[in-house]
Amino acid sequence: MTVMAEPVTLTVNAVSMRFGGVQALDDVSFSARGAEVLGVMGPNGAGKTTLFNIISGVQRPTAGSVHLGEMRLTGRPVDRVAALGVTRTFQTPVMFWGLTVRESVCIALTACEFGGSYPPRADRALLPSGLGMPVRRRADKALRARADALLERVGLTRMGDRPTESLAFGEERLLELTRALAVDPRVLLLDEPLSGLNPDEVGEVLRLIRGARDAGIAVLLVEHAVGELLSVADRVVVLDYGRTIAEGPPAVVAADPTVIDAYIGDELE
Amino acid sequence: MTAALWQYILGGVVDGAIFALVAAGFVLIYQVTGIINLAQGEFVMIGGMTAAALTTGGMPLVGAAAIAVALAAAAGGLTYLLAIRPARGGTALTLLFITLGVDVALRGLALFVWGTNPYSLPPFSAGNAIVIFGGALPPQALWVLGTDALVFAALYLFFRHTRVGTAVRAAVANPPIASTFGIPLRTFAFGSFVVAAAIGGLGGVVITPIPGVQYDAGLTYGLAGFVSAVLGGIDSLPGALLGGFTLGIVEHVAAGLLSPGWDQGLGFLILLLVLVVRPQGLLGRAARRA
Repeated sequence: MTVMAEPVTLTVNAVSMRFGGVQALDDVSFSARGAEVLGVMGPNGAGKTTLFNIISGVQRPTAGSVHLGEMRLTGRPVDRVAALGVTRTFQTPVMFWGLTVRESVCIALTACEFGGSYPPRADRALLPSGLGMPVRRRADKALRARADALLERVGLTRMGDRPTESLAFGEERLLELTRALAVDPRVLLLDEPLSGLNPDEVGEVLRLIRGARDAGIAVLLVEHAVGELLSVADRVVVLDYGRTIAEGPPAVVAADPTVIDAYIGDELE
Repeated sequence: MTAALWQYILGGVVDGAIFALVAAGFVLIYQVTGIINLAQGEFVMIGGMTAAALTTGGMPLVGAAAIAVALAAAAGGLTYLLAIRPARGGTALTLLFITLGVDVALRGLALFVWGTNPYSLPPFSAGNAIVIFGGALPPQALWVLGTDALVFAALYLFFRHTRVGTAVRAAVANPPIASTFGIPLRTFAFGSFVVAAAIGGLGGVVITPIPGVQYDAGLTYGLAGFVSAVLGGIDSLPGALLGGFTLGIVEHVAAGLLSPGWDQGLGFLILLLVLVVRPQGLLGRAARRA
């Protein structure tokens, strides 16, 4: 992420989501700009994960739409949304069985070659490596170097050849984030990236989040550790019962009586 | 006695080679889409029937074989686009029944196009039977075994040494995550049907000179391929190879030593035994996906 990506705005436009009788999201609108960390807060069940599912294309909203710049994302399948530059992590990090740590980063680095829309580099995709073709060997070496550089940044260099299922929980989180960054996204959705981490790992993840922001990525952060969220976020949106109840700079939002009310008995007390 | 046994084993190796190709098709589609495609045997029939019908009509073998494989691949692609894709989101059972429907439909179509007459294809190379330690193999057997070697080597190279292959492995390991990288799962699903059908079709072309072919030949191949795939491990390509040869040899030895009616029965008995002891199959992974 040394090159600053062209910042782009993600717009959530009057999104509502109803599951049977439950209104999970009710007319939610906000936008996230490139090069900013937007914290998404709310008590349990406020609709944060549903919101991420809708933005990333896993679920389709009952009403409203999500746009990336001028491009409508709603209605596109997950892989198209990802190819347009929106990727995400999950509450529980999920690993690729049977692949090594380095391979899983390499896949993320090259995934856009199969998406079609985003830089068309499919020419290299089908040539087998290891058959002595110099073009391919150079490309592979470069790819490996890029993967190793990303792994070094999170201190996982020595795990490169290990199977992904052998990692400890904190390492899985770091690998998951590295993978997401390797996709070279313009919008990154992080669903509780700090949960279950020790203080060192928390610092590491916060550093990565700031780095992503500085590279021009719009980072949307759902996190239960409110203190950390407020410290890293540039702006915060607060959801409660599927509605936006506050939006603004962290200090203002944290002092908002409506927000404190919504959190009574929860994390902010 | 031992000479006869050896001859049965050699016969089983030839059958095993075609079973392994069909099993590879089952494994490919299952790995990428999670679907058991019961129409897999029909692609062998389509390959064999097309090649046999075209050469009977006077076309040179190479051209007929190419058209046969292309037609089988097209049948696979259409199966996905017309029958599987519209039902995406259906349960595994729904999709299983859909493939059963496709199987019956393809057989019906073959009956309509080619009728009930058996077709045959001349062996690719002339020559006497090859004698190995006193057992005999028809020269065509080498073509079948060579096709196995080629197909499995190509699959190995694809999955281990190409970027698309690695991406397919990622999609197999974890579809939801792979799609958040922009890996197009549905394109891969389509591809798995096309490739599995092409492999089946190619198998049909090379095996047909030995037993001949007719419109309902796909049933036997499909069943044997399915048993081989489950025997070896439905999520393992090496398992398909092992399962195919194991089943082929067991069937031939059973038919030879006991009675011709015993071949499939004993094949299923072996399958049952393996599934009781190792439910994931000989080389399958015990528990997929966390």
